[in-house]
Order: sequence, then structure tokens, then C-alpha cells
Amino acid sequence: MRKTRPQGFRFFVGLAVASALAIGLAYALLAGERRQTESARDQRLAVVRLRALTEAVEISTAPGETGLQPLLIEWKARLKDSPPARVIVTQGIRLEASTFPQDVGEKAAPRRLAREEKPLFDQAARLRAAVETNRSEGAQRVEEIEVARTPSGGLGLAAPIEKEGAVVGMVQMETVSVAHAAHPNRAVALLYFAAPVALFVLLSGVAGERKWLLALLAAVLLVGALARYTQHSRTVLESDQRGLVTAVAGEIRVQAAALPGILAAVSAPPGIHPETWDSDLFRRPRGIVSADGSVSEESLRGVIDSSAVPVEKAIAGVGILALAVLSFLGFGGAAHLWATLRKHREAYVYITPAMLGMIVLVFFPFLYGVAISFTDQTIYTTSKPLTEIWTGLTNYAQILGDFHMARRAADGALVFNYLNFYWTFFFTVVWTVSNVTIGVSVGLLLALILNTPGLALRPVYRVLLILPWAVPNYITALIWKGMFHQQFGVINQMIQIFGGQPVSWFEKPFSSFVTALATNGWLSFPFMMVISLGALQSIPAEIYEAARVEGATRWQQFKAITLPSLKPALIPAIIISVVWTFNMFNIIFLVTEGEPASSTEILITQAYKFAFQKYRYGYAAAYSVVIFLILLVYGTVQNRATRATEAI
Amino acid sequence: MARSRREETVPHWLLHAVLIVVTLIAVYPILWVLTIAFSGKQSLALVDLPAVPTAADRLRAVVPWPDHPNATNFVSVMKDQPFARWLVNGAIVALATTVLGIFLACTAGYAFSRFRFPGRRAGLMSFLVSQMFPGVLTLIPLYIILVKWLGLGSTRTGLVLVYTTTAIPFCVWMLKGYFDTIPKDLEEAALIDGASAPTIFLRIVLPLAKPAIAVTALFCFLTGWNEFILAATLMDKENMYTAPVGLRFFVGGFSQQWGYFAAGAIIVSIPVVALFFYLQKYLVSGLTAGGVKG
Repeated sequence: MRKTRPQGFRFFVGLAVASALAIGLAYALLAGERRQTESARDQRLAVVRLRALTEAVEISTAPGETGLQPLLIEWKARLKDSPPARVIVTQGIRLEASTFPQDVGEKAAPRRLAREEKPLFDQAARLRAAVETNRSEGAQRVEEIEVARTPSGGLGLAAPIEKEGAVVGMVQMETVSVAHAAHPNRAVALLYFAAPVALFVLLSGVAGERKWLLALLAAVLLVGALARYTQHSRTVLESDQRGLVTAVAGEIRVQAAALPGILAAVSAPPGIHPETWDSDLFRRPRGIVSADGSVSEESLRGVIDSSAVPVEKAIAGVGILALAVLSFLGFGGAAHLWATLRKHREAYVYITPAMLGMIVLVFFPFLYGVAISFTDQTIYTTSKPLTEIWTGLTNYAQILGDFHMARRAADGALVFNYLNFYWTFFFTVVWTVSNVTIGVSVGLLLALILNTPGLALRPVYRVLLILPWAVPNYITALIWKGMFHQQFGVINQMIQIFGGQPVSWFEKPFSSFVTALATNGWLSFPFMMVISLGALQSIPAEIYEAARVEGATRWQQFKAITLPSLKPALIPAIIISVVWTFNMFNIIFLVTEGEPASSTEILITQAYKFAFQKYRYGYAAAYSVVIFLILLVYGTVQNRATRATEAI
Repeated sequence: MARSRREETVPHWLLHAVLIVVTLIAVYPILWVLTIAFSGKQSLALVDLPAVPTAADRLRAVVPWPDHPNATNFVSVMKDQPFARWLVNGAIVALATTVLGIFLACTAGYAFSRFRFPGRRAGLMSFLVSQMFPGVLTLIPLYIILVKWLGLGSTRTGLVLVYTTTAIPFCVWMLKGYFDTIPKDLEEAALIDGASAPTIFLRIVLPLAKPAIAVTALFCFLTGWNEFILAATLMDKENMYTAPVGLRFFVGGFSQQWGYFAAGAIIVSIPVVALFFYLQKYLVSGLTAGGVKG
């Protein structure tokens, strides 16, 4: 008999674990968000400086330019702790100006870029390409300001210089690293962990051994502490964001105050736009700080929310998890699980390695694939969380709700839409049925012939006829692809012997289908032959003997004896070869390649092409789920059907 | 044997005629690939036809026999092309898959066969259902998991892990079935003699299961050696190709090196065909046993 621990103790342990988990994770979330804000702060300030300097450069390279070196020197001199900067002009591959310590003496600007400075030129070219790409696509796809960590821990930034709507070069600068120490307060977190546990100890005496009361008490304490900690997080994040925006506004004021003087000193025209300096990496102004450096409270609220709300949502998720842990431990689920694990320790030790592999590389990918099928994930969005690109059932609606299988062309001819799901499904069914029919009929016929008693050379025929099955099927596919070659393939040579014209096999859907059918027929009949032969040989000769004595004809014998004895072997073989053919990826993928125009794709190759040629991961995943459901239905139906035949 | 009048059998020469025609069709592509391999050329055509070919020329063009048989394609595919490296890659992957697959399948199969524990039925069923997952569905997440998260793109390790989990369900079911047939008395006797559980598994059960383990091993090996699509998707770098991806590289897209392909195909196929003939009776019974059983 196992001694049962008191209820109160279980809930105490449950609350301690759940509370530690919840507050620990919440602390980590808060710390992560603060770290992000801190590193965003460096970048935001640097971008403000970069944009301010870039604007000054753009203004002073206006007609009557005086050279940029004085501008950069003036900028560095008037604004203390300004980072070193360079101006690169792509035309003529020139270093137009530089305040980097290494660009002095012989290497002083302006000069042509040296060979080892090619990365700078490449960066300028990259930025120009980025701006042009975004402009031609009318979208913000490529970042127009490059930011990277320097080896010393600072930031290296570069922004394009535009003149009359065209990118002519770039401004580049390197900041030094700034040390940060922004841990959230650990003592506060510890307090929020300890308080509910301590309160539970005090109050559980009142609750006694009543299970539900204890559970309620623990849950209330846990949720209460977590809610308070969430409020605390918001306060911290709010002050962080206020600090960040204040710093950015301060920097903008400093630059805006200094620039007119600097521009006047190098006799460039005035006219700066400080409100555009605080921008994202696509050079879109964030619109928080206005031209005079003031901050609007309303937009600041929005900024704070966008920082705090995701954290709050995540903490809410953590809370649900913690409640689950609490009830699992508190109601004795954990104790029960632990007892089971101990009791069957040996079995679980044996099973764990294989199960682990299956979970990580089969079951999890499957579930993840199903999740992807509800998003519009593409190759560009694999790093985004799935919730951000969630589209619900859109993919399924697109796949299953598209009935445009054909349309009339201008000349009245029927044009099929081969990318339509139902066309591909129809083709897959035709493909499966014709292949299995060919396989079974050829295989059965050969088996009947080979089973003829007294036939000479039977073992030789048998070995030679099995050969096609033994060759790896991707090699078979490539061989047949070669034999169907329009100009040099032997099949067209044979047609020409008989006076025919060479056929372009892969230009018409039907002839293309024939090539795949020939290939698959060739490699699949030996399986059916071997199965049938095995079944035929297991029929005792006496049965035929008896039938003959009764006066049965050969046809009657075939119908009454041969076919029924073939059935138990042939039916499973047909079932399995239906699945094989339905999923016969290699033959279609390598022989017809879906030509012409995807008309000979089967479902599985079509899904592959959506994923790995069009990179529509979400759509391809939904397509695959549909295939899985079709197979599942087939599996269930055939399971019932075979049971029915067995019952007879 | 006395025959009744009505029972007319088909004459044997007709059966032979049918068999010869079918056998020719079955063997022709193999002879074709042999011819190209030994032709010493990269061309897809068996002979170079004159501008205005006669019927005899055309006939010659379909006879699978090389003009000047030689083995230069075999030599240069191994020496001038990276095919030897691809073969080694393929062999390493296939052998590692075999070792890992046997280890995992033996332990899991033994547990499923010998122990009764909560989750046993669910585990067995989940292995079976996993065979129904379409490859492409798991391919996208596998690509993300292996390449983006674990950084195992274009590595043999990644491929071995994926192949092993592909092969496990079949192997586990097969070994479980075999372990079921080994009488429990032996183990109980050993237990009384004081043998520990691991000793019983290693010293008594595994040696008895040798035939089944051999089949499992060959199945794992063939899975790794013949697989094409996962390798083509996960192996981006040319020097990490496996043999199947390499063969496709010779003749896919705009590449038309049919001589290399043919020679390589023969090198790759020889072990497979040999294993196949050795194995076929197990394959047939293994594949259909589940369905035939009442």
C-alpha cells in the first residue's frame, strides 16, 4: 500500500513549482523585452545621427558643391562624441569625405577607393539596388539602411545618398559600443514567487483537507501574483520606452540645433527635416518625434503598447501553463505518472530512444506541417511566428473551392487549368487505376504461364522477369526518360524503323502520360507476378485433380479454384500497390517532370512543386494535409472492405 | 496422365513466345544502360546515325550492343567526376542509418513484444499511422527543423537521422513480430539463473533474432542507399551529394552526361540487385503478412 500524502502538501508543492515556473518565465520575458529595447536604443540613436548627416550631405551636394570633406569635419567638430563617418560616391568609385582616423595623410579624402576597400563600394551598390528594388516593386522588401555589429561591439551603419531621385552613394559610420546593464529587478521577482507560497502555508490551515478549497486557494494566489507581476512589467517597460523616446528626441534636438550652423559654415543652403530622422530601416519616419523635437503623448502610448502587449499576452499564456502544472501536481496526476514510470521503468527505457526520434523527426514535423497549413508561410516568412501569418482555412478554401478546371480560349478551344486541384486529383486517380490494372493483369498472366507444369526454362524466365523490380526506381525513371528522348531515344528510333515519325513525348499530356505509364508498368508488374506465383504454387494439385474427375472445364477450374485462392494474396497486394502508385513520386518527378504545363503532375509531386519550386510552404502544407486525408479515408474504407471479404 | 477431350492446354511454344517477348521488354532497358555504360561515350544514342539512315542503320541504332566496348566511362566517372565521393557519402549515410536503425528498432521492438505497459497500444498504432503521412507534408517542417533550427543542412548527420526515423516503424513492427515468436521460457530460465535484464536481451534474445535483424539491417541499408527526394532537398552542396542525387545531377536539367550516368547507375545498382535477390522472399512475406493474416 502506498502512503497517500496529505492534500495540502501536494498543493503546496504544486503551487511552489507552478509559481516558480510562472514568475521565472515572466521574468525571462521581461528581461528579453528590455534587452531588445536597449539594443534598439543604440540603433535608433545611431540612425538619427546617420540620417541627419545624410540629409546634410544631400543638401550640400546640391548645385555649386564645395566638396564634402569640410562638412564632415565641421559636423564632427561641432557635435562632440560624433562617430567617424565616410561618404562614398559610386560614380568614379570615390571616397568623397572621411573622418575615420585611418583616412589621413596619403589616404585622406577625397580620393579613389583602394582595391582592398571594395567591400565599401559593394555596400553602396547594395544599398542602391535595395532602393531601386523597393521602388520598382512598390513594396518595402529590402532594408535601405544597413546595420551590423562591428567586431569591437559597436554598430556599423550605412544609408544611401539620394540626389534628384537617384542613389549616388552612401554615408557610412561606426559607433563605439555602449555598455548596458538592464536586468529587471531580481528581488521583486523573488518576492512575487515567495509571497503566494507563504500565504498558502498560512491559509491552508483554514482550508483543512478539503481538496477543492485548497485548489481554489492555490489557483487564486498564483493568478493574483502573476497579475501583479504583469502590472509591474508594464511599469518597467513603460519607463524604458519613455526613456528611449526621450533620448531619441534629445538627439534630434541636438542635431537640429547644430546642423543649420554647420551648413552655413560650408556655405550650403539651409532646409532640414528633423521629423524624418527617427526612421526604421526602410527610411520610413516613425512619426513619434516632431520637427521641433517634441513628443506626442498619443503616439508614445502606441509605442508603449506595442512593447508591453506582446509581453502581457505571453505572460497570460504562461499563466495557463502554470495552472495546468498546478492542477497536475495538486490533484495527484504527477504522483500517478511517476508511479507508472517507476513500475514499468524497464519498458520505458527500451522504448525511449526510438520514441524520441519519432517524436522529433516524424510526429512533431507532422503537427508542425498541419499548423503551417493554416498560414501563408513562404520562403521569406519562415522566421516569423506562425500566429503573425495565420490565415485560418484560406489555403484549404483556395485548394478545394477552386472549380475553374477549364476555360474557353479566344478561338473557342478548351484550355485546361492543370494547376487545379481537382484536375490533379482526377489525373492521380486515372494514373493509379491504369497502373494497378496493368500491373495486376500482366503480373497475373505471367504467373499463370510460369505456373504451367513442365514448362522448360522456368527459373531463367523468373529471374529475368524479376529484374525490373530489383533496379532502384529512380534509376529506372532516368533510364526511361533517356529512352523516350525525342531525338536520340531508342523508342523513337524503333518507331522510325517502321516508317513512323519521331514523337515529342513530353509535349502533349497524353503521350507524356504514356511515358510515365510505360515506366511504372515496367517496374511494377514483377511484384504482382511474384505474389500471384506464390499463391498459385500454394494451391494443392489434388484440388484440380478432383475438379477434373468431376468433369470441370479449365475455365470452370480457373473460376472456382484459381481465382478464390489468389484472392487472399492479391487483395492486400493490390491495396498496397494502390498506395505506392498514388504516391509514386520518383516516376512522375523524374520522367514527365509534370510536362507539359503541369498536366501530368500527381498530387504528391504537385505539392512538392508548390513547396520547393514556388516556395509557398503554407499552401503546399495544406495540399499535403488534403492528400493525407484522402489516404486516411482510403485506409479506413479498405480496412472495412477487407474485413468484409475476410468474413465471407 | 489421361486428359479429357475438353481440356485443351495452350501449346508450350506459344507460352514461350509470350514469355520471350515480355522478357525482352523487361531486360531491354537494362541492356540499354549497359550498352551506354560500355560505349565510352556520353551520348544518349546507341550509334551515330548517318544523315540519311537506311533501314539497316536504324535497326543497328536500337540493338543494345556498343560499337567498341570499353570501360572508360567507369574509370572516368570514378576519377574525373566526384562520383567516388558521392558513393562514399551514400555508403556512410546508409551504413550509419543501418547501425542506428537496428539499435532503435531492436530496443523498441523488444519492449513492444515483451512488456505490457500503459501507452503500448497507442505507440504501436502511432508507428503504423505515421506510415501514412505524406512525405511532402513532413518535408517542409523537416527542412525548417534540420536546416534552419539545427543547422544540419547539407550534412550526413541530418540525413542519417531522417532516414532512420523513416525506416523505424517498419523495422519495429517486423522485429516485434519476430520477438513474439521467441518463447518466453528461455528468458525466464535465465532469470532464475540470475541473469540481469540487459544480459538476457543481449545474450539470449538478440542472438535468437539474428535472421530478423539481418532483414531489418538490409531494409535500413536500402532505405538509405536508394533514397532520392530527401537527399535532393536537404543536400545543397555538390560535394555532399549522395549517389542518387549525383546520378540525377549527370542527366537532370541541361546536363546530358549519359555515359557517366549509365556507368554510375550500374555501380549503384549492383549491391542493390544482389541484396534484392537474396532478400526477395522476406520482402514479399513482410509486405503482405499484415494483410493476409486473419
